[in-house]
Amino acid sequence: MIAKEKLVKIVGAANVSDKPAALDEYSSDISFVNPVRPTWVVKPKNTDAVQKLIKLANKTQTPLVPVSSGPPHFRGDTVPGIGGAVIVDLSGMKKIIFVDRARRVAMIEPGVTYGELIPAAAKEGIRINMPLLPRKTKTVVGSMLEREPVTMPKYQWDISDPLACIEVIFGNGNEFRTGQAAGPGTVKEQWAVGGIQKAPYGPGIASWHRLIQGSQGTMGIVTWASMRCELLPSLEEPFVVSSSDLDTLLDMTSWLIRLRMVNECFILNGTNMAAIFAKKWPKDYQAIKDTLPAWTLFYNLAGYEYYPEERISSYITDISQITRRLGVESVKSVGGVSANEILKAVQQPSPEPYWKLRYKGACEDVYLLTIHDKLESLIGEMNDLADKAGYPASDMGIYIQPIVQGTGYHCEFNLFYDPANSSESNRVKELSAAAVKGLMAKGAFFSRPYGENAGMILNRDAATIGVLNKLKGLFDPNNVMNPGKICF
Amino acid sequence: MALKKDVYKEFESVVGEENICDDPAIMPAYYSNKFAAVILPGNTAEVQAVVKLCNKHKLVFRPICTGWSGMFPPDIILMDLRRMNHIIEINEKNMYAVVEPYVISSQLQAELFKRGLNFCIKGAGTNCTAMLRGHGHMDQTTSGDDRNHLAIEWVTPEGDIVRSGALGSSDEWFCGDGPGPSIRSILTSAVPPGVTPGVFTKAAVKLYHWPGPSEFPIAGHSPKYVLSEIPANMMARYYSFPSVEKMWQAEIGLGEAEVCYELMGFNAAMVAANITTCNEEDEAMFNRLNKEVQGPGFFVIIAGNSPADFAYKKKVLEKIVEEAGGKSLKTLEDPELEGIIMCQCIRISASIRETFRPGGAFNSIPIMGQRDLTIKWAIGAGEAKKPLIEKGLIVDDGGAFFGWGVEQGHLGKTEIFCKYSPSNPTAKAAVETWQREQNRRAFEERYFASTMGPQDEIGPALCNYSQWWSKVVKALDPNGVSPEGGSLV
Repeated sequence: MIAKEKLVKIVGAANVSDKPAALDEYSSDISFVNPVRPTWVVKPKNTDAVQKLIKLANKTQTPLVPVSSGPPHFRGDTVPGIGGAVIVDLSGMKKIIFVDRARRVAMIEPGVTYGELIPAAAKEGIRINMPLLPRKTKTVVGSMLEREPVTMPKYQWDISDPLACIEVIFGNGNEFRTGQAAGPGTVKEQWAVGGIQKAPYGPGIASWHRLIQGSQGTMGIVTWASMRCELLPSLEEPFVVSSSDLDTLLDMTSWLIRLRMVNECFILNGTNMAAIFAKKWPKDYQAIKDTLPAWTLFYNLAGYEYYPEERISSYITDISQITRRLGVESVKSVGGVSANEILKAVQQPSPEPYWKLRYKGACEDVYLLTIHDKLESLIGEMNDLADKAGYPASDMGIYIQPIVQGTGYHCEFNLFYDPANSSESNRVKELSAAAVKGLMAKGAFFSRPYGENAGMILNRDAATIGVLNKLKGLFDPNNVMNPGKICF
Repeated sequence: MALKKDVYKEFESVVGEENICDDPAIMPAYYSNKFAAVILPGNTAEVQAVVKLCNKHKLVFRPICTGWSGMFPPDIILMDLRRMNHIIEINEKNMYAVVEPYVISSQLQAELFKRGLNFCIKGAGTNCTAMLRGHGHMDQTTSGDDRNHLAIEWVTPEGDIVRSGALGSSDEWFCGDGPGPSIRSILTSAVPPGVTPGVFTKAAVKLYHWPGPSEFPIAGHSPKYVLSEIPANMMARYYSFPSVEKMWQAEIGLGEAEVCYELMGFNAAMVAANITTCNEEDEAMFNRLNKEVQGPGFFVIIAGNSPADFAYKKKVLEKIVEEAGGKSLKTLEDPELEGIIMCQCIRISASIRETFRPGGAFNSIPIMGQRDLTIKWAIGAGEAKKPLIEKGLIVDDGGAFFGWGVEQGHLGKTEIFCKYSPSNPTAKAAVETWQREQNRRAFEERYFASTMGPQDEIGPALCNYSQWWSKVVKALDPNGVSPEGGSLV
């Protein structure tokens, strides 16, 4: 086991802990991964300390588990995969390094949450393309590194967006900066000549940031990241469209995105609409569920500096042709939930308690990527699997997020359950595994393999895993970075 | 060095006798290099078999498709991918196309236009492979660089078939990333001096909405094609500005307003080159335009999805240009010239007339990334061209540079050419010196580092990226059969 004084020397005594309560906090999460207690929790405050920790870990063969967001965690990626691990908690690295309106970019440390970045960016007139209602403790860097889907697919040109550049300490202890941040010279030297860290590709022909994204901390530790930001609209006009026919809404969604008319755009089923927007529990929850059609498409039109009313008006005219053709209607509220209320909600993190925990206290997410033509059959399959597992399909939340300007869809099944009810927990655990297996058999792609189901997912693509293992061997040759995760 | 007869036979058994050649009278038709053999595989399985044979016999190979450029060590196996020329899929709902390496951009674009779709045509021209990574005229709306690839089928240097992203797990092309870390990080293709080792046998590329006609209404005869009419809800204009600062104000404003289908920071010389059919016309037109422009400028195409959308975009365009003191070039408002340049930029990618025709050769410094920063550098690089112009060593373009916004101004590209006669050694040497000096200035003043520069100096200044890349290549290609360098263009 690594000696405490060595850790204290790097991060200071106040930032090293082996108190049982502190260790317990990181030894399990809401997911079904096996609990493993770490030996230390350390809280570095700068890049230098992170680098020293990684070098020490290499010398002592100590597993490191990087964590940036606060609890509750949901995916098992921050629970140590093996014993003897040191948790590297980055939540104290909270600097917003810059927000640059002119270049539409911001740079932050890994501990900055959405709740902290949103007002700082808004002050400058910009905002980040963010996931749907992240929990209050979720960090921006954590979300981007996990390739979480974002609610404005129009501005997601590449699946790596909005991530721009990162500074990372690889598993072997070497510092590296990706994209434009790589150089020449230091970041400060680049600032001096007017350079910012925005272009994500390179240096050279590789796109190094893509190797760090999705790696669950197995390649290195990110000490800051920059991200592209979007302008704050000067005028917004949100709408909802409800239907029992998902395919109609998917058709409409694809045209809204293809023609680049909408900013925020996603589909929720009635359960998730109720889970998110119910104010009085359980009365509102049931009332919203009972009132709503099966599916609700939300979209938001925006105007910027020049003639915003005319822009929105021309979009409304063009969209009315689509709705007429599809036999649906864009309206301002549905089931007692107004489009404005939805808009206001989805431009912030979730209020407390986190929306996924409100209904029953816990939630297991099963999420996949797929194409338009497969989505409905995958949802049908999931409903069948839920029925078979004895989980009421009507209790299952579904969130459909078009991704990367309409090239695919993120589909997320939210399995709400009572963690104090062991039979319900077990049912959901079994359903989660069965769902991944069953949905993969029907062609679902699980691009973000977490926890217990990761092995099953990765086993389908041995060739890619072979290449990833070669790369892992270069960047983290002693396998100190979060061992036991993904395929490492 | 020719292949041994038995080795030749092994390759022949894979591709058939019609698709392999080591005839010293025929092979020089490709390049001036001496090749061990030229092999034309017809599909992924044949590529894989050829690569495995190369590993077995420790023979170096290099794939090539449309052949715009390339660097080839001597005595290699040249793998000519021209038989792999199929459009595998156009997925309209999910906005991607899957192509083999020898599908050229114009071929794919013609099919896409019929479906109201388009994609990023690279500056190398529409006669180049559609799967090429790079930048082009329509980057404002079709993105660029490495950001248009989705899933890729890749035969590794050892002969394994790797199918990235959703393709490897669920046989779908829509996503190239995952599970877990993305191997798209290294599947990047074709920018010399380095390319991903191995062979890309199929790739999915992102598609974008095309608001224009399914076919341009072409009239006239080669070399002077014109449009019989400007398509509905489309307009092309060239605007010049009193200063670079004002031009940038308008460029970024238009990006943020999301109104331009294309915004290309052409200079007057490039406009002249693209709307004329020979050097004599070009020179006369350049002189005419030079008198008409008030300073630096850009070319814009707007394309509305409807009359209302077009009217809005046009109104915003005119407002932003006016605020920046911009002036429309009257010559380009002539519908005949407007149509020519619209087609040149969308269908042809407007490179060949402006690059090769005036001098026969050109050297360029291209920089991707932060447009405002690279403009600052390019002003100096343009000034540094002027002594060469005065001496008559390079084509007179007024010392101009050019560039454009990518993804509605989020990113950008700036580039500067020197066009010269390759038969003039003094001119060639002067251009190479200019290129070296301007790259050095960019590096020393911390604007950017050309990765084509000396790696012992550039690499350490860029986080030792070149060492990391060499390690990646070595891990993927332990037998060293797929050397760095070269081009899949």
